[in-house]
Amino acid sequence: MSIVYRILFSSALLVAAFNLRAQTPAGMAMIPEGNYLPLYAGNNRTSVAPFYIDKHPVTNGEFLKFLESEPGWKKSAVKRLFADEGYLKHWVSDGMYRSAEKNSPVVNISWFAAKKYCECQGKRLPTTAEWERVAEAGWTVADGSREPGFNEWILAMASKPAPRSLPAVGTTKANYYGVWDMHGLVWEWTLDFNSIMSTGESRAATGSGDGLFCAGGSATSGDVSNYAAFLRYALRSSLKAGHVLQNLGFRCAADKK
Amino acid sequence: MKKISRYFILLLAVTALSCSQKKQEAPSCCSTKQHESPEPLPAVSGESLFLLDSKWETYRNDTLKFEDLAGKPVVAAMIFTNCPSACPRIVADMKILEEGLTTAEREQVRFLLISMDPKRDNPEQMQKFASDHRLNPDWIMIRSDRMATLEMANVLGVRINPLDDGGFDHSNTIHILNKTGEIAYQQHGLALEPTELLKQIRTLIN
Repeated sequence: MSIVYRILFSSALLVAAFNLRAQTPAGMAMIPEGNYLPLYAGNNRTSVAPFYIDKHPVTNGEFLKFLESEPGWKKSAVKRLFADEGYLKHWVSDGMYRSAEKNSPVVNISWFAAKKYCECQGKRLPTTAEWERVAEAGWTVADGSREPGFNEWILAMASKPAPRSLPAVGTTKANYYGVWDMHGLVWEWTLDFNSIMSTGESRAATGSGDGLFCAGGSATSGDVSNYAAFLRYALRSSLKAGHVLQNLGFRCAADKK
Repeated sequence: MKKISRYFILLLAVTALSCSQKKQEAPSCCSTKQHESPEPLPAVSGESLFLLDSKWETYRNDTLKFEDLAGKPVVAAMIFTNCPSACPRIVADMKILEEGLTTAEREQVRFLLISMDPKRDNPEQMQKFASDHRLNPDWIMIRSDRMATLEMANVLGVRINPLDDGGFDHSNTIHILNKTGEIAYQQHGLALEPTELLKQIRTLIN
């Protein structure tokens, strides 16, 4: 009898161990519960629930695979409602990228296409809060602003002109969470990029956009040294979901259950 | 001991099997979609909102897809019912527009309110808003889930910023869709004369 119990017990343990190991999906990093400092929030850090995020931006090669099962998102087939004319314009044909760019991040991609891609992987786009939380991390510490040289490195990356052909993903530097290319490769879509108001519209006086674009001064912004964050927020505020840019890609995230 | 190891092997096999099954299920979002044949109506262009396959719930507890709006131009706005000032204003602007139409014209136009607050705007709440604002019974008011709402906002170019108090900062835009669901005109801002909107609607119904 006791053997049966022992077997039951050990099988439960085994299953538990298996599940634990299987928790972080392949190619993703687990970001524990924590907080980040939004650009416009003074010193009020915003808490972010734990989640998973892709270690790399989605590549041309990966996107091509997606098109095999979703031909409606090919360059020739995509509906104008969901992507502007320049959609995948760096690809040499309807169904092929330049071979050297197989592992480069896919760009010239609309928000709609990025959202659909992630949904088909059983994932979703990261929220702006989640993305920024990961982007705050330095190489060896969770708060990159405390890491000597980190901010300077980001700035140097941000001011570097985009090369004609984008390098492969995973060639910049991995951060504290093991996530690559948050800085210095491409801009990335976020799920709620459209929450940045360039003019506080319904409640002008309290609109969170005010703190962002006060030219010259930035009284309500949390970290004025974070110039790269300014650039990201400014970009997001200017984007529409159908827009495509030659240096705008994406990666996916998932809820941590 | 032999027995135990046999159990373990069996267990491992079962666990491995269940995991591999899970993996197979993951990309099904793509494959099932294709079988559903979401082929749009032939007359619909690539810019039509009728391409959206999201499902919406009306304040009358019906379901609605955007293609159901075909045949008549639509005057639409995104609002939320707990909105303190801007949304009542935008609805008032839409009513002024409605009053500017002749009875014959009015019959050829739909009025649509789309909730940006799917959590709180359940059918009862929307019904209450409709009666509080004395909306004509043929006005349509709808909500969906978060993703469909976000997609709709992005299709319409409406910016929505959730606030800590449960409300939203948002663009104030009145949208006019033509009979085939394309955005024909958008008016940004509140309390404007309805002249241009009326002109736009009249070109669409005649």
